[in-house]
Amino acid sequence: MKPIRALGRRLRGNVRLTVGLVLLFIIVVIGALHGVIIDAIGKGQDPTAIGFGQRWLQPSPQHLLGTDQVGRDVMAMVVAGLWTSLKIGALGGALSTIIGIVVAFFAAYRGGWLDSLLATTTDLFLVIPTLPLLIAYSGFASHISLFQVSVILAVFSWAGASRTIRSHVLSLRTRSYVDLAKISKESDVKIVLFELVPNMLPYIALGLALAVINTIFALVGLELIGLGPSGIQDLGLLINSSVQNGALSLGAWPMFVAPIVLLTAIFFALNLINVGLDEAFNPRLRKVAGA
Amino acid sequence: MVEVSPPGPVRHWWATHPNSAYVIRRFGIYVLTLWAAITVTFFFFRLIPGNPIGAYIQNLQQNYAYNAQASAKVVDHYKEVFGLNGNLLTQYLHFMRQLVFHLNFGPSLISYPDSAQSVIAGALPWTVGLLLLATIIGWILGVAAGAFVAWRRNSPISEAATYVAIAAAHIPFYFVGLLLLFALSFSLAWFPSGYAYSSDLSPAFNLTFIGSVLYHGILPALSIVIVGVFGNMLGMRQQMITVLGEDYLTFARAKGLMPWHILRRYAVPNCYLPQVTGLLISFGFIFNGNILLENLFNYPGVGHLLVTAIQQLDLNTVMGITDIAIFVVITAVFVIDLILPLLDPRIKYTR
Repeated sequence: MKPIRALGRRLRGNVRLTVGLVLLFIIVVIGALHGVIIDAIGKGQDPTAIGFGQRWLQPSPQHLLGTDQVGRDVMAMVVAGLWTSLKIGALGGALSTIIGIVVAFFAAYRGGWLDSLLATTTDLFLVIPTLPLLIAYSGFASHISLFQVSVILAVFSWAGASRTIRSHVLSLRTRSYVDLAKISKESDVKIVLFELVPNMLPYIALGLALAVINTIFALVGLELIGLGPSGIQDLGLLINSSVQNGALSLGAWPMFVAPIVLLTAIFFALNLINVGLDEAFNPRLRKVAGA
Repeated sequence: MVEVSPPGPVRHWWATHPNSAYVIRRFGIYVLTLWAAITVTFFFFRLIPGNPIGAYIQNLQQNYAYNAQASAKVVDHYKEVFGLNGNLLTQYLHFMRQLVFHLNFGPSLISYPDSAQSVIAGALPWTVGLLLLATIIGWILGVAAGAFVAWRRNSPISEAATYVAIAAAHIPFYFVGLLLLFALSFSLAWFPSGYAYSSDLSPAFNLTFIGSVLYHGILPALSIVIVGVFGNMLGMRQQMITVLGEDYLTFARAKGLMPWHILRRYAVPNCYLPQVTGLLISFGFIFNGNILLENLFNYPGVGHLLVTAIQQLDLNTVMGITDIAIFVVITAVFVIDLILPLLDPRIKYTR
C-alpha cells in the first residue's frame, strides 16, 4: 500500500506524469477493446473483410472514418492496427529495456575496461542510423512472426534506455548501502537485484517508455516504405497502404490522419510520462524548474 | 607518485603533453570505432537469414540459364567482380582492402557496371543539400524558441508550446510530410507532389533550374524543419532551465542588468553548445527520418536510393550507403569532441 500511496503523492503535484498516464491508459483501453469495437461496427459481419462496404466511402454514420480501397471499414482497421502496434511496442520495448538494463548494470557496476567498451557500443548504437540495417534485415528475411519482429526491433532500440540507466547506476553504486552489502559479502547478482534495481525503478520506467517509443517507430518506419514484415497489420502499414492506393488524390484523409493522430498520441503520452518521471525523481531538476 | 617509475622519452612526452596525448588517444578510439562499426555492418549483411548473396547468385543463374556451362562461367565471373569468392573471411579481407585502399564498394547492381560509390555520389548532393539546410534552419529556430520558452517559462504560451513540443519533438518527418503533402499539394495544389525538380527541366546551372529545385524542396524541407524546431526547442529549454537556477544569473539580476542582456550574454551562451552535441546525437534519427521522407516525396537522394537498392538486392550500394552514414556520424562526433574544448573553456581535454 505504501508505494502506491507514495506514487499517488508524486502524481498529485505532477501534471505531466498524470496526463501522460491517463492518456496512455485511454489509448490502451481502446486498443484492448478492439474486438468489441470491431463487432459493434460490423454488426455480425467482419468489417475488416474485403468488400464489407463500398470502396472509398466518405465518413458517414455507418462508417465513421469511411472505407478503404477494398471496402473495409477504416475505423475497424485503425483499431485493429492500434492493438498490433501497442503489442509490438510493449513486447519490443520490454525486451530492449531488459537488454538495456543488463548492459547498463554490467557496465556501470563492474566499471573498468568493460564499462568503456559497453559504453562505447551503446553510444555507437545510439548514434548510427540503424534503419538501413533494419530495412535490409526485413527486406531479406520475410515471413517472420510478431515475436521475432519484436526481438529484432529490440536489438536495434535498446541503447537509449541503456544510457539513461547506466548514468544512474554510476551514481548509485557508490552509495553507502551498496558498500554495506559488498562488505557483507553479498553476491553481485544479489546486490544488483535487491539493492540497485528497486532504487532504479523510476529510471527503468523512463527507459521503458523510451524503448517502447523507439520500437513502435522503428516498425512504423519499416511499414511506411512498404518493407515491413509480411502479415503484420499495424498502424504504419495502414498509412503506407493509404498512400500507395491513392488516398491522397481521392481525398480519403481519415485513412492516414487517424493512424498519425493515434501514433502521435501514443508518443505524446509516453513522452509526458518520461518528462514527468524525470521531474518527479530528479531532485536537481525539481528544485530549479520550480513550476 | 609521479616519480615512481623512471619515465622513458615516450612516456615523458605523453605526460608532459596532455593535449596532444588526448588527441592521439581520441584518434585511436575514432579509428577503432569506425573499423568496428564497418566490420559489424559487413558481417550483418552477409549473415542475414534469407541469404541475400545466395538470392543474388540465383538471380544471376536464372538470367544466364540458357547454357549450363556458360552460365557457370558467367556466375564465376560475377562472383569475382562482386567480391563473392572464397569464404566469409576472404570476402571480408577483399572488401576491406577495396574500401581502405581504393575507396571502392564494388559494382552496383542497379546500374552495373558503374560502381556503388558513383551511384551513391549521384544521389548524395540531394540528401546533403536537403538535410543540411533543413537541419540548420530547424536548429537555429529551435534554439531561439527554446531560449524564449525557458525564459518565460511561467507564461501560458510557453507552457502550451512545451506541450506541443513534447508531442511533436521526435515524430517521424514522414507524418508531417504526409499531412503537408495532402494539404498543400493535393488539396490546394500550391506545391509539387514529388521529385527534386520539374520533369521538363534538365539539371543546369541557371535560375529556372535552381528555382525549380527550391520550389520542389520546400515541402520535404519544411517537414524536417517543423520537427527539428520542436526537438531543439525542448532540448534548449531543458538546458536553459537548469542554467537559469545558477547563482551567477541571480548575481547578474542583482547587478541590475537588463533582462535582454542577461538572456543574450549570460544564459544563452552557456546553453547552445550542448545543443550542438545534441544535434549530432540525433543524426541517426534525422537520417532514418530522411529515408522515409525521400520515399514519400520520391526525392532522388540516398534514402530513396537505399530502398530501391534493397528492392533490387543491390547489396554493395546498400552497404555503401550504410557505411557512409556511419562514417559521417562517427567523424562528426570525433571532430566535435576535438573542437568543443576550444569553444567552451570549461571542457578540458584531460579528465
